[in-house]
Amino acid sequence: MNMLVEQVRADLLAFSRRPETLFFTVFLPVIFLVLFEAIFGGQSVTLAGGDVIAQSYLQVPAFMVMGVISASFVALSITVVNRRETGIFKRVRGTPAPAWLLIAGQVVTSLVIAVLMVIVMLTLGSFAYGVRVDVGHLPWLVVGVLIGAMAFSCLGMMLAALTPSTEAAPPLANVVVLPLYFISGVFVPIESLPSWLGNIAAWLPVAPFVKVATWAYVPATTTPWRSLGLLVAWGIIGLVIASWRFRWTPRRN
Amino acid sequence: MQTVTAAISVTGLVKRYGDHQVVAGLDLEVQQGEVFAFLGKNGAGKTTTTEILEGYRTRDGGDVSVLGEDPATAGAAWRAKLGIVLQESRPLGALTVKETLRLFAAYFPNPHTVDDVIRLVGLEDQTNQRAGRLSGGQVRRLDVGIALIGRPQLVFLDEPTTGFDPDARRQFWDVISGLRDLGTTVFLTTHYMDEAQVLADRVAVLRDGKIAALGTPTELQALRGDVEIRFSLPPGIELAALPALSTQPRLTGGEVRVETTAPTADLAVLCSWAEARGLELPALTVERPTLEDVFLAISGETA
Repeated sequence: MNMLVEQVRADLLAFSRRPETLFFTVFLPVIFLVLFEAIFGGQSVTLAGGDVIAQSYLQVPAFMVMGVISASFVALSITVVNRRETGIFKRVRGTPAPAWLLIAGQVVTSLVIAVLMVIVMLTLGSFAYGVRVDVGHLPWLVVGVLIGAMAFSCLGMMLAALTPSTEAAPPLANVVVLPLYFISGVFVPIESLPSWLGNIAAWLPVAPFVKVATWAYVPATTTPWRSLGLLVAWGIIGLVIASWRFRWTPRRN
Repeated sequence: MQTVTAAISVTGLVKRYGDHQVVAGLDLEVQQGEVFAFLGKNGAGKTTTTEILEGYRTRDGGDVSVLGEDPATAGAAWRAKLGIVLQESRPLGALTVKETLRLFAAYFPNPHTVDDVIRLVGLEDQTNQRAGRLSGGQVRRLDVGIALIGRPQLVFLDEPTTGFDPDARRQFWDVISGLRDLGTTVFLTTHYMDEAQVLADRVAVLRDGKIAALGTPTELQALRGDVEIRFSLPPGIELAALPALSTQPRLTGGEVRVETTAPTADLAVLCSWAEARGLELPALTVERPTLEDVFLAISGETA
């Protein structure tokens, strides 16, 4: 247990001292939310059921999801590739430390950052944009974010296992995630997409996550069991591929 | 009575990559408390052999025992007795020296204190400096600190001083000598002869995946018995005018070189010849081959 505490402490310290990951993970989703609120904050949307709500009710949870994905998928995959290619993982594998410790260190670190992102977005949404979570749904938000963060951590491990080099890690993670943000209701409301695109996105992992987070803010819609199920399924797919292709030593030798 | 087992014992080790045999039937024994240097040119199989001993790579044949266990199957309790400095590895640049050692200490059951290790590797002035801002020599010392934190019985150092300036190398050697005093077994690979000569109790020279020579630095030096007598030709004297010696002298750039197995006799002839003519032999030196020369002779000519 002490080992895990020390590992997470060191991983969090290292994370907080890398300005580039800090910017992309923590500040970018916040900057996006502020900009989108400045541009579209006054508008309202008509939901499928006919209810009309302020667009902020969709934007706050959407960028909350972006923050969680940045921490659990983008930052995690970049860090894991970096540790593998610089020989840090190899080095630790030469000590008595068990293999799970290194994975757990990364996953717990990204969960901590994800929770921080949720708190930042909850606060910002509530005080700056007057968007509040229904109190009865708050536990659901916590459960949804944890399931989503776990699923995207598994997918991040999968991406890391498939990424060949340190240089390739940031562009690869962003190439995967940016188009998904566009078609999954983060940048653009899912209602304004062509239906075929929306149908594809509905099966990919970002849209269900957005749906789960939005549900906490817009309780009129039905409980998103299907979306939670999809997230779990994607997490399992990520985990299986990650454990199949994962390696501890640099690719070059 | 207790039997003293070897720290490392290897017989008939074989490792293939495709059709190429990188390690071709290697035999090796390293005693406890010994500083053992493993020399060889790049590609001779040094790192492959070392990583098999460390448990990182599998082998294709032979028996290996490291601290009484087979590295291929040994577990965490065995790794707790090892300290490893890899050929290529950087510590996490964002953590300080102290934070890095604290993390690695948490991996081991009975670690040294962080402060003790910092003192041992001489990084007192860099304690709170981030690893990413250390010089190359300081990073390597931190690497050794990481390897020492778990109180290892056996330390592997794979080319630890590559790229060091002479000053950093000398400081590093002090650290390794300190290990010997603690009774730690050290397995060192290097391609610097002076390093092996200063540090090692015994030296093995690896060539084409096999041990080509093995012994103390002094024994290895004696392998090439020739001594070289050198001097410049006195003014007005031709090479042909010199007296007959045990071997034919060579003239390179005004300097006469006599490679001889009978240096005393040859010197006597030369000196009495010069004295009889009232000549001085300018820049006269007699040199034994260095370990470097021996190493080049053993490992240099590839079969």
